[in-house]
Amino acid sequence: MKWTPRGIVDRLADEGTPLRLTLLILLLRPPGAGAVRGLTWLAAGLALVFPALTRFAGTWLVLSGLVLARLVLDWPLSDNHIYLLGYWCLGVGLCLLVTSPFAAIADMSRWLVGSAFLCAIIWKGLLTPDFLDARFFRVTLVTDERFADLARAVGGLSDTQLATNRAALVALPQGAELLDGPVLVEPPALQRLGLALTWGGFILEALVAAAFLSRWPSALHRARHALLIAFVGVTYAVAPVAGFGWLLAAMGLSQTAPPQHTIRVAYLGAFVLVLVYAETPIIHLVLSGMSG
Amino acid sequence: MPRRLAIALPAALLLTVALSQMTLARTAYLSPWKGGGFGMFASVDGLPFRWVRLYVSAPARSEELAIPASLEDQAHRVVTWPHRRALEGLARAVIARERRNQRPVAAVRVEIWRADVSRMLDVSEKLVREITFHDDEVDPARDR
Repeated sequence: MKWTPRGIVDRLADEGTPLRLTLLILLLRPPGAGAVRGLTWLAAGLALVFPALTRFAGTWLVLSGLVLARLVLDWPLSDNHIYLLGYWCLGVGLCLLVTSPFAAIADMSRWLVGSAFLCAIIWKGLLTPDFLDARFFRVTLVTDERFADLARAVGGLSDTQLATNRAALVALPQGAELLDGPVLVEPPALQRLGLALTWGGFILEALVAAAFLSRWPSALHRARHALLIAFVGVTYAVAPVAGFGWLLAAMGLSQTAPPQHTIRVAYLGAFVLVLVYAETPIIHLVLSGMSG
Repeated sequence: MPRRLAIALPAALLLTVALSQMTLARTAYLSPWKGGGFGMFASVDGLPFRWVRLYVSAPARSEELAIPASLEDQAHRVVTWPHRRALEGLARAVIARERRNQRPVAAVRVEIWRADVSRMLDVSEKLVREITFHDDEVDPARDR
């Protein structure tokens, strides 16, 4: 290996890196408990230690079976990225059985990422009545503790207003109304934040779906990596689903060619960034600092 | 293994599961957040905005039960997808638990509620599903 920046990147982000990152995800976020957890750790750990197992189709087919077992045991409570993890492991296993396996993995990954984002925008744009009018984020910014720092720092809510708003959003029996009950306070900054999260997220997800599923317009298709990296970098600073962010970074990385050094570094950076978001209090500290 | 199959099968599976999830969510109250349809962060209709109420009755007893810790996981599954068998399963588990604790139980009513949020952000309770399950419907060999 050459000890130049490019040589280091080539070593760190070779064609096997997305597979190793996936194994790392399986080790960091295994199933909740039981034999499935132990077997997942064992299979992923062995594959991470022995490179031959990393590139062995059977490893990935076994891992997809273990993810499927996890989905069945936890049904219907598993998060959506566990399904994506299962399809990804299955796809890697199948692609490792064909000629030019890493080119096949890149194509398979592109369809998977595009399909997942397509489903997300179908839900947000067509199937739920409470997303595009910003109701979802207006409620979530107030009621979900994981978004409280953001509501304070960017939305301008005080602790007192946050507590009052939560009381105002407690469900009442239909038709009932509290006499002198708590009143919802939405500062303009909070309303703007709700709209920005709603429409910013929707437009970015729609662009990612279009960029990965279609080669036309070519400019959008060429920008797909930048869009996905931006999505991961922004979304998982707020959304508490590190496993999803890691998986998207690994799947995006699998679609890059060796000369795309900058994009490969950016995907690795996105993976590390999500790790930092998830495992350190940095976002909390930054947002707390902003809200004073 | 045909190359095209290896490339297309995972995405085809994803879309098939997602389409099924969307159908179940529209017709059978499956939460948009769960089930593999990628409807997370799309609606308030997730776990914190769905809940279950349990009522136990017997000749000298009629009361609402707090969800016991031992049934919390099952209750989460039921509110996420409140189909009839899931509701019955929860009712059976409650009856079995009451019997184990030697408390009288003749029937259990399971109600699934969710919060309905208006455009003005008025939040009201909405009953999604309910069943009343009687003691004599329980199979003692199965429901311990």
